[in-house]
This record gives sequence, structure tokens and C-alpha cells, in this order.
Amino acid sequence: MSNPLQPIQLLCETHYEWLCQWWRRQLGHGDEASDFAHDTFLRVLRNPEEVRTLRQPRAYLTTIARGLLNDHWRRRSLERAWLQAIAEIPPEMEASPEMLVGVQQALQQLDRMLANLAPQAREVFVLSQLEGLTYVEIAARTGLSDRTVKRYMAQGFEVCLTLLEH
Amino acid sequence: MAVAESKPLDAAIIREAARWLVRLHSGEAGPADHAAFERWRAGSPDRELAWQRAQRLTQQFNAVPAALGVPLLTREPRVSRRTALRTLAAMGFAAPAAAWLGYRFHYGQEGAHRTAVGESHDLMLADGSQVLLNTDTGMDVRYSDAARVVQLRSGEVYVRTAADKAVRPFYVETPQGRLQALGTRFVVRQLDGRDAMTELTVLEHRVAVTLANGGSARIFNAGESVRFTAGAFLQSDLPAGARQPSGVAPGWTRGVIEADNMRLDTLLAEVSRYRRGVVRCDPEVAGLRLSGVFRLHDTDALLAVVANTLDLRVVTRTSYWVTLAR
Repeated sequence: MSNPLQPIQLLCETHYEWLCQWWRRQLGHGDEASDFAHDTFLRVLRNPEEVRTLRQPRAYLTTIARGLLNDHWRRRSLERAWLQAIAEIPPEMEASPEMLVGVQQALQQLDRMLANLAPQAREVFVLSQLEGLTYVEIAARTGLSDRTVKRYMAQGFEVCLTLLEH
Repeated sequence: MAVAESKPLDAAIIREAARWLVRLHSGEAGPADHAAFERWRAGSPDRELAWQRAQRLTQQFNAVPAALGVPLLTREPRVSRRTALRTLAAMGFAAPAAAWLGYRFHYGQEGAHRTAVGESHDLMLADGSQVLLNTDTGMDVRYSDAARVVQLRSGEVYVRTAADKAVRPFYVETPQGRLQALGTRFVVRQLDGRDAMTELTVLEHRVAVTLANGGSARIFNAGESVRFTAGAFLQSDLPAGARQPSGVAPGWTRGVIEADNMRLDTLLAEVSRYRRGVVRCDPEVAGLRLSGVFRLHDTDALLAVVANTLDLRVVTRTSYWVTLAR
């Protein structure tokens, strides 16, 4: 009984089929359902102590899976937007494949982190970090108050510093 | 992922760091601010770590050209979710229809055939003709030396006739009339209710229709669609968007609903054919439109996808009473 992973193993074994079904339903197809079910359990593993006191394991799994599902849709939508954007790059810009891969990876990471911000906060933060606008310029561009711009900037830094990987 | 390096930093340190960064990025920070920040940073290893993380964040932003990154990172999530749906739909389109729940293949027995709500059957008749039964459909098959007859009692069938060695005619009979296949593919639907009628859509070649109350036969060609009662042909009142492109079998034969800029209430009326109970939406959202290919094998999932796409909620009183609302 001392094995701390035992409750998780039990959770996996009991609910694996159900979780695969859940993913099949959400994705509309079964191609990756078991992969996503695995990812869900991997995420559960990050907080092993929570599992031991679980009252409603399926509700817990659903919450975690829903987070993964949102990530999945966002990755997809970025992928589409990215492909469209690079298709529109004029040929004279001469973007090398290596450069594009680097840009795409950075975008994926940034997008994942910025997803935790409200749309307006995200816009403010991106305008500051990518276009290098001052807060006064951002306030003028967005019609937000100086205070709000600062608040959104603080949120942006907090979220990114918390989630940044590597 | 470098686990050791991305160990959680104290939330309080992160908040302090964020406050400093806001100041430094404001466009108003002077030398005194930078000096004060340097002192803060040198105060503890965790502060230094937070600063290094901020540096990496800057590197990531620097890797992205603004002209590309601003529109991508600030894209409208709702629009993009819909785009994602389309991608998914495109994949669903290619998948075999056999994924549809209850979809079964039968070899050609004569007699009665029936599908339940949400079910579909693929029937291969003795002469090689194919009949697909849509949801909630009942029919009889009678083959004799003189004719091949499918009697449609309710629901909807897709028919692809095979050339018969004995040159027997192929008929579909409904209470409103008799349809003779002239080497063809077509769809027949029996619409019940007060104004019982038959709806015919010809996909290939021609179909001749004789009304139950008599009169001479009328011939309909590929791409044409008609409704008729036992006594009369009705003016086609199908909205342009609902008409089937010539030659293409309707979505349900592949286990999907195909919506092209379809009104939500129209889509839900269609969905309700495939599940028991009531599916409706609030009048205020009935006119919202959407496009996509929706799989029929799980209508709960279908409704969730639709709701998600339009930013609506699925209100489930019981599984027999579902409403989509804001």
C-alpha cells in the first residue's frame, strides 16, 4: 500500500476505456483517442497526491481532459492560421525552412502561454512585446486606459513567467 | 522539457518580477529604474531565475516577426475553432460510413426490413441492387418473375439498381405513387404527418413516377427533386441550399449531415431524425448559420460540437429534451 503510484494505476485501469470513449466523442473520430487518453493520465501523474483523495474520478479526469482538448483545438487553429500566413509570405522575403521552423516553435510556445490571457490582455501584451509599442501608444491604439494597459501587461508577464518551459 | 529548470518559482517572486518588467517595458523607464531593478535582481537566486526566464521570453518574442506574430497570436479564437471544426469535418468526410452506429450490411432477403431511430442498414438485394435504409425506416422487398418491388412504408431509402438479367422492372412503391427506376440511383423519402407525401431526388439517369390516384407517368432526370401526394405533383419548395448537387448521394448514406451555411433550426430538425426525443433551440439563435460535416454516429457529440462552434450551451432536461441556447 506504500506505493504512491498505486491509486493512479487503479484509476487508469478502471477508467481507461471510458476515457478513450470520451476522447472519441470529443474528437469526432477514434484515430488518436488512446493517445489522448494516455496524455490525460500523464497529466494526472503530475499531481499524484490529488488522486488518493478523489471522490469523483471521472469528473476529475474530464476536467483534465477538457484542458488537453482545448490545447488541442488551439494548436490546430494556430497550425491552420500559420500555414495560411506563410503561404502569403511574398517570395522576395526569402524565408528559409530553418527560420520558419524556429518561428513556428516560438509561436507555438507563446500561443500556449498567451491562451491563459483574456483576448484584450493578449492583444496588449503582444503589441508591447512584438511591435515594441510603449504603453501610451498601446492605450491610444486600443482605447484602453493607461492603468488597464499596465494591469494587462502585469498579467501577461505573470502568466508567461509561470508557464515558460526549457 | 527541462524539468529541473522549470521547477515552480514562487508565485510571489513571479509577481514581483512581473511588476518590474511592466515598469521596464513601459517606454518610460529611466536609468534609475534599471539600477533599482538590478538591485532587486541581485537580492536572491530565485529573483535571478525569474529574470532569466524573462530573458527567454524576450528571445521567444524576438524569434517572431511582428507582421506574422501579431495577427496569429491575437487571432479570434471563435473563428479559429470553427476552422478547426472544418478540418475535422474534412477528415470525417473521408472516413467510412460504417462508423455510423448500427450501420449493418445485409444480404438480400425478401420480406420486411426496418431500422430504428439513429440506425442505418445497407441492403444488397438478390439481383445486386443496393438499398440503403436511413433512420427510422420501414420497407418490404418483394421480388417476383414480373418485377422487383421495394415498398417504402416510412422513412427514407437510397436505391442503386443493378441491371437485371431477367429484365424485370424495378419499382419503389409508396402510398402516394409508384416510382420506376430507369437504370439509376435515386433517393425516396416518405414524409408522414397531416400532408403525407413522397419526396424523390434523382441522382443519376431517370425515374418515372405514377401517382397512386392514376394519370400518366412523369419522368424526372438527374439533379431533379420533386414532392408528390397521391393526387398531385407539388411545386418544389426546397430551399436552394438544401438541394442535392447532381449525382452526389446525400450525406446520410455516408453517415454524416452536410451543412452548407445551414440555419441552426434546420440543422437541428435534421439531427432530430436521428435521435429520440426533442431537439430544439431558442428562437433567438434559430437563425444562426453554420457549415460543416457532422457525424451521425453520436448525436450527443454532434450537438456538443455544434454548440461549441456557435458558442451556445446544450441544456439537457432529460436525454429526450435537449435545447441549444446562449
